Amino acid sequence: MSVLSPYRVLDLTTERGLLCGQMLGDMGADVIKVEPPGGCSARSIGPFYKDAPHPDRSLYWWAYNRNKRAITLDIERDGGRDLLRRLIEHADFLIESHNPGYLSERNLGFADLTRINPALIYVSITPFGQDGPKATYADSDLIILAAGGPLILAGDADRPPVRLCIPQAYLHASTDAAVAALAAHHERARSGLGQHIDVAAQQSVAMATQAYVLAAPLGSPEARRMSGGVKFGPLDIPLVWPAKDGYVAMTFLFGSALGIFTAKLMHFLCEQGFCDEATRDKDWIAYGEQLLSGAEPLSEFERVKEIVRKFTCSHTKAELLQLAVDRGFLITPVTTIEEVVESPQFESRGYFQDVAHPELGQSFRYPGPFAKFSATPIEYRLRPPSIGEHNSEIYRDELGLSEREMAELTQTGII
Amino acid sequence: MRDDLPLKDVKICDFTWVMAGPASTRILADYGATVVRIESPTRIDAARTLQPYLDNKLGPDSSGMFANCNAGKLGISLDLRNRAARAVVHDLVRWADVVTESFSPKAMRAWGFDYESLRKVNPNLIMLSSCLMGQSGPLAKIAGFGNMAAAISGFHNLTGWPDRAPAGVFGAYTDYVAPRYTAIAILAALDHRRRTGQGQYIDQSQAECAIHFLAPAILDYTANGRVNGRVGNSDAIFAPHGVYPAAGDDQWVAIVCRSDDDWRRLCTAIENEDLSRNSRYALAAGRLEHRDAIDSCIAAWTHALDRGVIESRLQALGVPAHQVQNSADAYRDTQFAHRGHFVALDHPSLGKFTVEGPRARLSRTPAVVSRAAPMLGQDNQHVLESILGYDETQISELVASGALG
Repeated sequence: MSVLSPYRVLDLTTERGLLCGQMLGDMGADVIKVEPPGGCSARSIGPFYKDAPHPDRSLYWWAYNRNKRAITLDIERDGGRDLLRRLIEHADFLIESHNPGYLSERNLGFADLTRINPALIYVSITPFGQDGPKATYADSDLIILAAGGPLILAGDADRPPVRLCIPQAYLHASTDAAVAALAAHHERARSGLGQHIDVAAQQSVAMATQAYVLAAPLGSPEARRMSGGVKFGPLDIPLVWPAKDGYVAMTFLFGSALGIFTAKLMHFLCEQGFCDEATRDKDWIAYGEQLLSGAEPLSEFERVKEIVRKFTCSHTKAELLQLAVDRGFLITPVTTIEEVVESPQFESRGYFQDVAHPELGQSFRYPGPFAKFSATPIEYRLRPPSIGEHNSEIYRDELGLSEREMAELTQTGII
Repeated sequence: MRDDLPLKDVKICDFTWVMAGPASTRILADYGATVVRIESPTRIDAARTLQPYLDNKLGPDSSGMFANCNAGKLGISLDLRNRAARAVVHDLVRWADVVTESFSPKAMRAWGFDYESLRKVNPNLIMLSSCLMGQSGPLAKIAGFGNMAAAISGFHNLTGWPDRAPAGVFGAYTDYVAPRYTAIAILAALDHRRRTGQGQYIDQSQAECAIHFLAPAILDYTANGRVNGRVGNSDAIFAPHGVYPAAGDDQWVAIVCRSDDDWRRLCTAIENEDLSRNSRYALAAGRLEHRDAIDSCIAAWTHALDRGVIESRLQALGVPAHQVQNSADAYRDTQFAHRGHFVALDHPSLGKFTVEGPRARLSRTPAVVSRAAPMLGQDNQHVLESILGYDETQISELVASGALG
């Protein structure tokens, strides 16, 4: 049994909000992707299967539309809007990501639809929120990352700040929206009432600053970007270290919680002949404070980092990972996508899922369930839908439209 | 406390620490859940030692990271190795709807607080374990932080310049992604229990849920055999698409053209005839091919201008642009202010402590940040007396046992 199977979701999102509905669909909700007759704009986003652009072969589309059914419906026309209102009567959630005002100008805003269905939870995902001085700003992933705080924190010090090359901003926003939708749903069980949820991607991505967005109001120095690490005050703190065959992430930090791990690592380095006992026996708990106060010169920290670098460089990523497993060091390899998909760890947990695409005569491996639920496991029931794939099923079989009505709607281009 | 908060009836016994777990229960606390956060009196939560610090001074309660992840919760100190702590844990589990924990997999079992043991205390309990790699598999034992999970799930390698070592995504990236999946898993499990009476156990790997944020790249490999690499700030579809220098030291502005129309409007702003009349640049394909040349022309225009002026000039024309904001910029940002993103809370010993506000606006039952993060053991008396109903003798025996630290 799937956990959210009693509920129906109408997903009117563009590429800004597709993940929100997919999270609910993964947990069993009946998610209906409502697309304009030519298909959702996200279908034109590459890469494409075999690099051949086609609305049903966008891998971006595949990534965020599994476990959804799809219908077409033209909300620019009265007939389409009437049809949507009929669907709203039986829906528990509506998710949309249009610019603020777009749907209310078409009489499909929260105020309009809550009159039809007072229990409807209406979720809006936008770049900057429904109102305010920047609500109408033109946007993209990079713009939101710039506005929300994470962009400035990553990159090489001598080059511009740099983003993760797979768009992230709307994924953060979509996940916040999904959580808010289920919180409102929990309340609806008591009150019987829906409400409007307004998510701003700018706020969602601020999460990716690890609270550094608070530096100014707290009176703390700003963190500054540094390749493979971060600069804080006078300290260059590496988090990515070179290995014999690539790179590893290593937490080499100080203080009452993390200094213990550093001490353990330095003992091992001493055993292995990478450093002397005096270096090993530094006070790794107080070390950060000693560096900041000047009690320990920065040049000495540079020498220590060079020792650690010699150690990481003399081992492969796999050797360092094994040491981490065996000895509890805080090291993991920096992996390519290929290494992720082929990883024995994910394999042993049965993580990646083969999803059949019968029309292509093939199955493809998808990222698997986001968690393992003991009573209500996530199932991949539906591959990402083609344009209007479920029109007959939903309009005729479920909504009860006659063949003639169906033909008329098709002929006039409403569906 | 307002009495209409969505999760006012949800009770969470929270063993999580550092960031990924606490950030998830912070979301649930904002929506009204009662969260009792258990902290070790001997082994400090690493989050309490991490920057940024209030007034840039290290102290057990001055970490902005800890404050941000734990606002709105109650805190008790409990030494889980102490035999007297066992009864308190069991009473909390009996009280709770949900138990959350984020230790490396064997810890809860070693204390006798694994799901099979705790469900004997509370048969319809929902319990969620969150750790880097999940409860099983050859790497289950790996202890560590979100920067390590980000590395092993592909994020670091995709951030940076193709001619350089990976710059890496900032900080503990999976700790930003996982909390939302944790929260939604708990809310879904609560719905299931409301309808069926059945609790359950949820095994969450922070790496596995974060990989959904790389899904297009995963599918490009599994469907096309292509292994994505670092591409700086280039985009596969949009050009120009970059971060350009503005006047001042380390000042930047992000500019994106999503369409040929955006490009024409950008050219109007730049007033550079070489750009606007160059027919090779009229369509996106041509701009992608010549992006380096175009980027140089844009940088030649931006580098002497104030980044805020560039942002407003381009936005007035409908071209996506924004100054690249650090914390000081964000704190002054008119939109963040409009959204109430920064919330100043009263801290019992440190005065005003600013944290981030709730990330979603609910029209009828808005979320609220009810109080500053607890100091270690701040709510021992309240939790033991008012939530668990212990009398004075029981409480003094517990204090004497040393279980509270």
